[in-house]
Amino acid sequence: MVNTVSVTDKTIQVKVFPARLLQPETAEKLLNEIDKVKGVLRMLIGGKNLPRKVTCGPGTGTDVNHPDKRVIQVGDQAFELHVMVGHVIVEVEDESVLEPLKQSCERGLPFAFEFKRGFFIKKKATLTDYGKYGFRSKTDERINLDDERMLGMIDPHAKAEGRFCIIGVDNAA
Amino acid sequence: MTYKPQYYPGNTSVAKNRRKHMSDDVEKLRDISDEDLTAILGHRAPGSDYPSTHPPLAEMGEPACSVREVVTPTPGAAAGDRIRYAQFADSMYNAPATPYWRSYHAAINFRGVDPGTLSGRQVNEMRERDLEEYTKRQAETEITDWGLSGLRGCTVHGHSLRLEENGTMFDMLDRRRLEGSSIIMDKDQVGVPIDRKVNLGKPMSEAEAAKRTTFYRIDNVAFRSDKEVIEHVQTVWERRTRYGFKPESGR
Repeated sequence: MVNTVSVTDKTIQVKVFPARLLQPETAEKLLNEIDKVKGVLRMLIGGKNLPRKVTCGPGTGTDVNHPDKRVIQVGDQAFELHVMVGHVIVEVEDESVLEPLKQSCERGLPFAFEFKRGFFIKKKATLTDYGKYGFRSKTDERINLDDERMLGMIDPHAKAEGRFCIIGVDNAA
Repeated sequence: MTYKPQYYPGNTSVAKNRRKHMSDDVEKLRDISDEDLTAILGHRAPGSDYPSTHPPLAEMGEPACSVREVVTPTPGAAAGDRIRYAQFADSMYNAPATPYWRSYHAAINFRGVDPGTLSGRQVNEMRERDLEEYTKRQAETEITDWGLSGLRGCTVHGHSLRLEENGTMFDMLDRRRLEGSSIIMDKDQVGVPIDRKVNLGKPMSEAEAAKRTTFYRIDNVAFRSDKEVIEHVQTVWERRTRYGFKPESGR
């Protein structure tokens, strides 16, 4: 039988939506608190774009040098924030992880936040993903990715460098 | 009895603030020097002459025209200044001005104004020296809280966003930011760095902003809490609808 389903696990997704846009220090603290929770599979950071250069108007091309466009350390990975963090989508293994996850957000955020359960990151490959990555082989129609958890983490048209990182590889090995 | 304009109905603090903005009866909260203002507007170098687009009207020999005789030109028009613009964005989290009220303030109290009102920003085009006078008035008074408002010629994103952690409105181009207890602007309105740090004063506290705002908000002063305003708005909408449908019934 030809297998076309990418992810079959019944995972749960939650959107953490703070009352304020986060400074890099708070975002770093929140992400590290979430990272410490056992059972967290994926995190997706969203927020307001911090461009490198002015993109429109008479000042087009001028460097912005936004002070919040900083490198932060989450777990064993350091990466540059491209956004002012407005929300974090977290995917966890099962229901038992939700309460520890909420407690980690309470520790990481100094103000109120919404904790919404829903479907935010796709679990199955779409036509665009197949167009980018292709099939594994002529007989195996699963998507040609080593780790299918990458699906939905970045725009299929974007490059992964600088937008995607794997945390805790050494610990997992 | 002298005529007293009735600008806006209502008895809530928001309605009173709206009347204050429209009548220009606003409190001055800070001083911004002419040079600093010119620098953040970014249309000409501070201290330089005003570039002109035509000779002064007095030298042009205008045609005989009764309207021209009645209407005194503004200083900018008389000198032949260029048309320039200033654009403000105001946060919906209790910024003192809404885009419409910036337009009302400009159009009622200044001459030679071309206001453009959008959902989250307000742009005003005027002759250059007239524009500076108008912008100074809005920038120095309670119409503007520089924590919740911004002078943004482009990339205005911020009006409908959550505030930053320090209580200021998001600015993608980092034109102005909170340094210590004051708002500092070191770029002009289109994001080009300027040669100075302009001190725009302290931002309002949350309570102060809630008191001075012209935004109706359910978590501050709800629009529906002011019966007189509701009645006025419904009357205006009903009459304009009826008039559009059947003009003779709209009186």
